[in-house]
Amino acid sequence: MIEIDIRKKLQSARGEFMLEIQLSIHPSEFVTLFGQSGAGKSTLLRCLSGLEAPDAGFIRVNGASWYDSKNGIMLPARLRRVGYMFQEYALFPNMSVRGNLEFALRKKADRKRVDELIELMGLGELQHRKPATLSGGQKQRVALARAMASEPGLLLLDEPFSALDHDTSIRLQAEVLRLQQHFGITSIMVSHDMGEVYRLSHRVAVLEEGRVARLGAPADVFRASAGLGNGKLSFAGEVLQIETADVVYAVTLLVGNQVFRVIASAEEVRHLKPGDRVMLMSKAFNPVLQSVTS
Amino acid sequence: MRLDPLPDAMNKLQGRITAIESNDHVSLVDVVVNGDMFTATLLETPAEAAYLCVGNPVQVWFKETEVSLAKDLEGMISLRNRFHAIVKEVRCGKILGEVVLDYQGVEICSIITTRSIQRMAIRVGEKLEALVKANEMTLLAVEA
Repeated sequence: MIEIDIRKKLQSARGEFMLEIQLSIHPSEFVTLFGQSGAGKSTLLRCLSGLEAPDAGFIRVNGASWYDSKNGIMLPARLRRVGYMFQEYALFPNMSVRGNLEFALRKKADRKRVDELIELMGLGELQHRKPATLSGGQKQRVALARAMASEPGLLLLDEPFSALDHDTSIRLQAEVLRLQQHFGITSIMVSHDMGEVYRLSHRVAVLEEGRVARLGAPADVFRASAGLGNGKLSFAGEVLQIETADVVYAVTLLVGNQVFRVIASAEEVRHLKPGDRVMLMSKAFNPVLQSVTS
Repeated sequence: MRLDPLPDAMNKLQGRITAIESNDHVSLVDVVVNGDMFTATLLETPAEAAYLCVGNPVQVWFKETEVSLAKDLEGMISLRNRFHAIVKEVRCGKILGEVVLDYQGVEICSIITTRSIQRMAIRVGEKLEALVKANEMTLLAVEA
C-alpha cells in the first residue's frame, strides 16, 4: 500500500499554485495520473522517486516512511527502489543492451534477473547492440527492462509512449501490461492519452491545478467527465465559420485537430459567431463506425 | 488511413449518380440503384467534392437505425427513399428488434422497436416497404 499526502508550491505559466495530493494505491495496482501539462503530474512522480521533496506531508510505502515532514524524513532516491521509465530513453550510449540492464542491478551477482528480463522482453537478439543502433520502440523496451532490473517495489512511467508512433506505442503498452502483471508491480504512470489510460490503468486520477479532481476506473471517470450517462456523444469544439446553406446554415467546427461542417438551423446559429466554444452533441444511434487500416 | 473496403455492418447499395442539384453548400443527389431511385441530401457540392458527378458510380450507405418500415402505406410522405423488400429474418430483443430484408438480392437491415415489430405483425416472407430520410443517406465515392 502506498499512501500519499503531500503539499508543494508550484510555479506554472498562469502563476503560483499548490500541489495538494491525497492518494492511496493498492499493491499491484496500476494508477495513471491524467491531466493537462502543468497540472502537477510529473512533480508528483518526482516526489515519489525522491528527485524532489514536497513542502509538507508524508509518503508511506508498505508502512515505511519515504518522506515525512513532521519527523524530518526524506529517504534518498537511491534507497527507494523505484523503477523509472521516461519519455526519453535515457540509456547509457556506451553500454550494450545487456550492459545497461546489468548496470541497473542491485547486486552485481544477480545476473539471472537480467537473463529473465532479456527473455521476457524478447531482447535476446539485441542484447549485444549499443542503444544508438536501436529503433525508438526497441530503446523503450530496453528502458522498460532496465527499470525492472533493480527489482523495484514501484514502477514510475512518465509519458513513456509519447515519442513513439501509434503502432509501436500500442505494442509497447501491451509489453508494459504483461510485465506489470508478471511481476505484480505497483505502477504509476503519467499520461495525457485516454487510450493509454484505458488500456493500462486500473484507476485514473485526473489532476486539475494540483488536485485530484476525479478518481476511479477509466470508463467511469471519462464517461462522467464527458457527460455521457445519457447515450449521447459530446465534444468540445470551436466555431470557425458560419455560412448559409440554402434555408439552413453550414457551421464549420474545429474539434480536436479535425475540421468539419455540420448543418444548423437559423435558431441554432442565432447566438453563434466564429471563435465561440460549443458542445457538439449527437445521439448514440447516429454515428457510423468504420474500421480503418493504417 | 483509409476506409476498409469490405466492412460488414451498415446497409450499402451500389448505384450511379443520375442528377445533382446544389445551392450554397447543400446538394440533393439522385442515385439509381437496380432501377430504383435513391436520394441523398449532402453538405457538399460538386465544386467541393470531385466524386459528385453525374454518371459516377457511388455507394449509398445508411445506418440500420435509420430504416423505417411500412405496410400498405398510403397518401403522401416527405421521405424520398422508399423501396420494397422481403423479410428474411426477424430478431426481437426486449426493446429493439432487427428486421433483415432482402432487397433485390442485397441484405438490408432495419433496427426498430420490438413494439413496432409486434404491432405490425412483421413475419418472415412478407413484403414490406422500407423508408429512409434523404439526409440519413451517405454517399461514398467508388474507386474506378
